[in-house]
Amino acid sequence: MFIYNLRLAWLSVRRNPILSVLMVGAIAIGIGVSTTTLTVYHLMSGNPIPDKSNQLYAVQLDSRSKEATSTDPPTQLNYRDAMALMHAHRATRQTADYITSLVVHPPRVEQKPFYAVARVALSDFFPMFEVPFQYGSPWEKADDESGAQVAVLSHDLNQKLFGGANSVGKSLQLGDRTFRIVGVLAPWSPTPKFYDLENNHFGDTEDLFIPFGLTVPMQLQSSGNTNCYGSAGDGTFTGFLNSECNWIQFWVELPTQADRDSYMQFLNSYVQEQKRVGRFPRPLDNRLQNVTEWLNFNHVVSDDSRALVALALLFLGVCMLNTIGLILAKFLRRSPEIGLRRALGARRSVLFRQYLVEVGIIGVAGGLGGLLLAWLGLWGVRNLISDGARIAHLDWLMVGAALLLALAASIAAGIYPAWRVIRMAPAAYLKVQ
Amino acid sequence: MLKMQNIDKIYRTDVVQTHALSSFSLEVREGEFVAIMGPSGSGKTTFLNIAGLLETFDAGTYVLDGKDVSHLNDDQRSRIRNERIGFIFQGFNLIPDLNVYENVDVPLRYRSMKAPERDRRIREALETVGLASRMKHVPAQLSGGQQQRVAIARALAGEPRVLLADEPTGNLDSLMARQVLDLLESINDAGTTIVMVTHDPELARRAHRSVHVLDGQLIDTQAAEIAPFQPESEVEPDAARG
Amino acid sequence: MALHPILSATLRNKTGAILIALQIAITLAIVCNAVFIINERLDQIGRPTGMDVDNIFVIQSVGFSPKYNPADARRMDMDMLRAMPGVVDAAPISDIPLSGGGWGDALATKPGEGVSEQSGNIFTVDTHGLNAFGLKLVAGRNFRPDEILEEDSQSTDFPKVVIVTRAMADKLFPNGDALGKTVYEGAGGRHAATIIGIVERMQGAWVHWTGLERSVLAPIVYNQSFTRYIVRTEPGRRDAVMQAARQKLDTSNPGRFIQKVRSLADYRAKSYADDTAMATMLGVVTALILTITAFGIVGLASFSVNQRIKQIGTRRALGARRRDIVRYFMIENWMITSIGVVVGSALAVGVNFWLVNLFSIEPLTWYYIPVAILALWVLGLLAVMGPALRAARVPPAIATRTV
Repeated sequence: MFIYNLRLAWLSVRRNPILSVLMVGAIAIGIGVSTTTLTVYHLMSGNPIPDKSNQLYAVQLDSRSKEATSTDPPTQLNYRDAMALMHAHRATRQTADYITSLVVHPPRVEQKPFYAVARVALSDFFPMFEVPFQYGSPWEKADDESGAQVAVLSHDLNQKLFGGANSVGKSLQLGDRTFRIVGVLAPWSPTPKFYDLENNHFGDTEDLFIPFGLTVPMQLQSSGNTNCYGSAGDGTFTGFLNSECNWIQFWVELPTQADRDSYMQFLNSYVQEQKRVGRFPRPLDNRLQNVTEWLNFNHVVSDDSRALVALALLFLGVCMLNTIGLILAKFLRRSPEIGLRRALGARRSVLFRQYLVEVGIIGVAGGLGGLLLAWLGLWGVRNLISDGARIAHLDWLMVGAALLLALAASIAAGIYPAWRVIRMAPAAYLKVQ
Repeated sequence: MLKMQNIDKIYRTDVVQTHALSSFSLEVREGEFVAIMGPSGSGKTTFLNIAGLLETFDAGTYVLDGKDVSHLNDDQRSRIRNERIGFIFQGFNLIPDLNVYENVDVPLRYRSMKAPERDRRIREALETVGLASRMKHVPAQLSGGQQQRVAIARALAGEPRVLLADEPTGNLDSLMARQVLDLLESINDAGTTIVMVTHDPELARRAHRSVHVLDGQLIDTQAAEIAPFQPESEVEPDAARG
Repeated sequence: MALHPILSATLRNKTGAILIALQIAITLAIVCNAVFIINERLDQIGRPTGMDVDNIFVIQSVGFSPKYNPADARRMDMDMLRAMPGVVDAAPISDIPLSGGGWGDALATKPGEGVSEQSGNIFTVDTHGLNAFGLKLVAGRNFRPDEILEEDSQSTDFPKVVIVTRAMADKLFPNGDALGKTVYEGAGGRHAATIIGIVERMQGAWVHWTGLERSVLAPIVYNQSFTRYIVRTEPGRRDAVMQAARQKLDTSNPGRFIQKVRSLADYRAKSYADDTAMATMLGVVTALILTITAFGIVGLASFSVNQRIKQIGTRRALGARRRDIVRYFMIENWMITSIGVVVGSALAVGVNFWLVNLFSIEPLTWYYIPVAILALWVLGLLAVMGPALRAARVPPAIATRTV
């Protein structure tokens, strides 16, 4: 019966090619537009580290001066507080990190020196954020503050400098210092780049990673955001480190709720202690936000993309109304045939199914067309949005969702017309109009 | 009232030419009730279409109500249809979305006529056909005979010079058919010229005169001398044969 | 022809009419809001920058050799760039306007803690800065060579004079007497500086910041290995000069490399990329939805014509002219569209209310609605034209056909 219905549906599609094309086209455009916007939204709002997003917390301390007006504490720490938390070692894992620019001198002399973005971090950074290694491993914990000149390269930088070969153990000149390569990452690009939302939500992973302990000996400066509450220091590097300028991101790994609670207590008592020496003039407002909370707090999913999804769904509504109208027109035009089939003994439910098979076919065709349009649309978005490549590609989930949506939309659009035509008495169609 | 001379009508398709009418001539005097008879395919409907200015013809002249209508454009023909011709169709051709009152109103809407005047004519016409009480009904709520009477009212409301009826009882049972015919006769008595196309000899005998069409040509005319009234039971075999 | 009989015919045949009216309503709601957002974004992008954006490019120079002398390199580079054919002027700068990265700080009219400050965007320049950016000085004067402060990267000194934009001047001194006044920069207002000039306008680094036009020019040049130069060219010669300058700088000093030679327009485009993307996407959505709706009208009007072939023939037989038939379908469609736009206007306001509440979208300006209504009326009439003309071609002889 299903095959018979398929055959009838195909005959019907062929009988009114223009109407069929219009219907398939309307669904395809509706699906194309909604899939495009939903894909962007889905990739923007994706959870980049689902298994640990409840165990990783961004640390915020309200170290601002009294005048500050914003309701939220800063998203980064200053050097003094970062060092204090680091040395307290109260979390299972922790990292303090920021980005800086370094001149890379390629080992191959024919390559000119160039600027690379380095993340200055603690060795816990890698296991905390589940960073995959291709060769080697993170540096030793002991090297975090020893001033050891060791580096972990990104997959891309290793490709550029060493042609992708295992470069662990080789040396690399960064600025005027020579570093030993201890590890090379496998390709890694969490989307969104949750561990650093200060600088570009969907940007590329850094080119290389070096230990936090090099900050002072190399006088490294953040090339990311720096927010100062009060004086930026006396002009010396030490002065800057001791100032109330916030530029360091601090993450901790706290496996259980109890860990989280005790860490919060620790933060509060730390701040109370600092208050006694005249810092932290504002009321206590320390925060621990897990990855999901952090992404929301930083408005990673842009309002624009939400608004677009909303408009796209309304758009799909218009396409569906359009399709309902066309299907209705098509079915009503075939009323005499229905009357005949009814007169020949077809039950309503049988005819109803026949119509749903027909709209289902239109839906699948529309869905496929919609995927093609979505693919085109996403290609357009990639060219339009900054860092669009990360958030504008079709994945299997969206392909499946688009097809299902198309099928559901077309069947929803077909139910009313099908019900309308089968509801009439058979004689009504047979009578000559 | 209606004078056709040597009318030719040819239907062309890619492969064939059909002479639907050839050298067709007919004159209908004012106040006459003429029946046009012939089997299907004889050219009756073509004659009706041309007489009603629904179609153009290829040769010949046609004078309607003293006016040569052979070479009018589409708008002019619409105007003549609207003002001088009333149509009664076999299938009634009422507009299903409109109620009785609105249906009768249709032709009046196409002339610049004041609303009170339209209203007066609609009511009068519906009164004439005996359906004044059904004004708000839509066609689907009426019997076939009632529908045809609405159609007649629609034709009358325009106060036409000539009424063209196309198998007016073709879709009706005999009782209703008789009512419709009685109505047509009384309209004719009141002075309106009627040309009726039919293949039914019984019907034709109610006319003053029957005309026979075969293969697009008029074969003979025959005045119904016993006019105006003929009891239905007394069928004259001659008239039926034509 | 009067509306009433058409309306009653339409009402008795309502499903198709309701579908189209609803479709038009949602279309109106989407189009109003989409076009409004598009215009809002385009307006933002199109705001005057105060600079000669189209003829400016930026170069980054990074010294890496131990023998690299930043001050010497800068002087040589400046002389070379300023002498190049096609170059109007060049200047060393710290941060790039419209780029999304810069030095934000606050100025106050009084020294001391807790004084209300006006946040602004500081750009460092030398005496060529005004000309290199193409800024219009509306009061006061440019910096003198002796006012230029040379600093290394750690230094936190601030010059004694500044030039501010009109927006910054008015914010600090609402009476319009900013010229010659002293302002205090930095935490606690440690650095006093005199306003010696006011430029009409200069957009800062962060294009989505409300203080975008509150810019401050400070006469500082940095002696550090990383420097940026801004170069302004004669109109139309930017790209050629950009290439030539890159080549010259690349080969002039082996102790450094040149990177990110990009036009200012490019930086601006990148800053507004998401706005452009939003506007483009909404534009595509608007075009598509209007197309879909137009096709929907064509589809249902064709259906309605096909269903009424017989009655069209009858009307023609009863004396309707071709134009009466065309008019009939136009009026019918116009009425359906009108119902749609009435519902749609309410919906547009509703959707906007929703967008305003959930997302940072501005409330709709009222006149978008009548304009959209007009547009949909026209769209509806154009879409129904085809089926209506087809209806007018129905021969009146259809009326006498028995099936």
